[in-house]
Amino acid sequence: MTDDREGRVRAMVDRAASRMLDATVLERIGIAIASTLLALLIGLGIVAAAGHNPFRFAYQLIVGSFGSERAVARTLRYSVLFVLAGVAVAVAFRAGVFNIGVQGQFVVGGFATVVTIVRVAPHLPNGTGSGIVLMLIGTIAAIVAGGLYAALPGVLKAYSGANEIITTIMLNFIAIGAVGWLVAGRFGDPEATATRTERLPEHVELPSVVFDDPNLSIVGILLTVAVVVLVAAVMARTSFGYDMVTSGYQETAATYSGVDARRMIVSTMTLSGMVAGLGGAVFAIMIQGYFTDPSGIGNYGFDAIAVSLLAANNPVGVVPAGLLFGGLESAGSHIQINSDVPVQLIDGIVGLVVLFVAVPELFRIVARRTGLGGDDE
Amino acid sequence: MSVVDAVDRRRIRLVGLALVASIAIGTVVSVGLDVALERIFTVGFLTRSLEMATPIALAAVGGLYAEKSGVFNIGLEGFMIFGAFSAAATMYLLGGTSPTQGHVWIAIVTAMLVTLLLTVVFAVLLIRYKADQIVAGLAVWFLGLGFAPFTAAVIWGSRSSPGLASIDTIAFGQSPLVLLTVVVVLAAWVVLYRTRYGYWIQAAGENPEALDTAGVDVNRVRYAAVIFSGAMAGLGGAVLLAHAGNFVGTGETMVDGRGWIGIVAYLFGNYNPIGAAAAALLFGALDMLNVQFQTVGIDAPARLVNLLPYAAVIVVLSAWGKTRMPASVGEPYESEE
Repeated sequence: MTDDREGRVRAMVDRAASRMLDATVLERIGIAIASTLLALLIGLGIVAAAGHNPFRFAYQLIVGSFGSERAVARTLRYSVLFVLAGVAVAVAFRAGVFNIGVQGQFVVGGFATVVTIVRVAPHLPNGTGSGIVLMLIGTIAAIVAGGLYAALPGVLKAYSGANEIITTIMLNFIAIGAVGWLVAGRFGDPEATATRTERLPEHVELPSVVFDDPNLSIVGILLTVAVVVLVAAVMARTSFGYDMVTSGYQETAATYSGVDARRMIVSTMTLSGMVAGLGGAVFAIMIQGYFTDPSGIGNYGFDAIAVSLLAANNPVGVVPAGLLFGGLESAGSHIQINSDVPVQLIDGIVGLVVLFVAVPELFRIVARRTGLGGDDE
Repeated sequence: MSVVDAVDRRRIRLVGLALVASIAIGTVVSVGLDVALERIFTVGFLTRSLEMATPIALAAVGGLYAEKSGVFNIGLEGFMIFGAFSAAATMYLLGGTSPTQGHVWIAIVTAMLVTLLLTVVFAVLLIRYKADQIVAGLAVWFLGLGFAPFTAAVIWGSRSSPGLASIDTIAFGQSPLVLLTVVVVLAAWVVLYRTRYGYWIQAAGENPEALDTAGVDVNRVRYAAVIFSGAMAGLGGAVLLAHAGNFVGTGETMVDGRGWIGIVAYLFGNYNPIGAAAAALLFGALDMLNVQFQTVGIDAPARLVNLLPYAAVIVVLSAWGKTRMPASVGEPYESEE
């Protein structure tokens, strides 16, 4: 091969590569699907390596996530939490702020809801009306608590340069430890056998309506959809959202156009934490009905990072990604009962999804080599 | 920044570190009844703090090498989990529930090798395929949180292992792994500041173009540093296990944030291995304060006292947040041949 030809080939590859790097929406969806499928395939391979039947496991994944009305309701119940927590992560990541603390903000929010409702309830009459008022107060308490708990690392990042990845992870540990201590101590229910707070009063309950599942309410689903629409609208249609997204992509450009980068960091974190806190409120009111030791409630806030990344940090994309994770989690509870395969495998698969999403280049190269998917999608 | 400046800043940091530690502990003690200080600062406390500090120090030394070379290895926590688990699994496969001291040492070496191999894959994804360093690092953590308890459940039928063996102490009740860590830290300092390889690593992070011009392959230097960082984190995890004597896979596993604390330790130590080890000792001591409180009879809730290291991390990061990162951290390097 002459130098000249080599040069031309090189230039061609470069051009193709630069076009690929400008990921289009279609390409992102392709990468998300490829990441998920590859992670699931590896998961099945591990099932086989551990001496179990991978086909049976795959079948149980499907049955456990949407094989029956009960499974569908369970999937939707988890999806609501993953979508809310996923939107919280997406808001921050989109603005270039790595809020890994959604788990902690979720916990603080949910706990605030229960404590507020339990404390205020005796002062109100029993009845549906005061139930609604209590739920509103409780939800507002969660939004405020989650927002404040996220604003703290935001302020620390903006004004003293403390890396938010690390501070938010530390605040997760602190939230789980401190709330766990409060639930076991001052706010514990002395009559309960398990470590938990008092139950929410009977009249604080969301109506099921569509599904015959006490832990899934149409109100929760509608609220989640509303949050997605609202956040998507704020990000796409308002000047605040525009400044936020610009800060994420082009910090200097945002600064030149007059955005106060520091205040932006704090506002972003606060908004993100508010959504996370709301997720905690939904968890507390719709699902638990009290609050238990947060070390055992599930990793919604952590998995939400995978949900958001899978959706390329787009709040609307979080919906299908959240449904996928809701399905996986739901299948997990099915597998725990009906299979010998340890359920932690699902967590491992989540890790693989995140890993593959981090390396889009891998799929681009495979696509280029095999000619699959073409390079002009 | 001149050398004198660097030394000065380091000194200021170390003094600050000592101050933070003494003020924090002093306040807690004076509030918690009037207990004599000498009953808290016992030899046992020092021994336990050193043991607690070693895994953090090892991970920190690894992490600072990677970052000095221009790659942010945020996966330290995950690699520590893999290290701790591999050590436990090796010990169990060799000697069941009563492994010998020989088995413990083999387990530590095996864990380091397993983690090293995993880091090779990680390094290829980061350097060759230009993976997002933050997201890929988080993925390693998630993989550890999933697959370590999963494999534990396959082997032991539970997320945690049964009691295995912990390492025997040598002279003065010290663990040999503490001495090993001291050697590693000193060697890391010498290599980084006094050898050609150390200068290559620093140049790969500060000015990769210059290193390339000098005829050194930047990416090869980075591969070496990242793989070393993973091996050190794995060793840290194995050391943690060898001190504890069994693997715990519930919650955030027995590693429980120590890899993240390791990152803070090297930031606090201003990317200097000795400074990082000193910071690790501070966090190790805070981690062990709980035991001291119980022995002298201070009635502080254990669960809250256990949160002290995490709170200290936030305080430290906020007070010393603006560390000077190497100039080219996070940027993939492509040679222009």
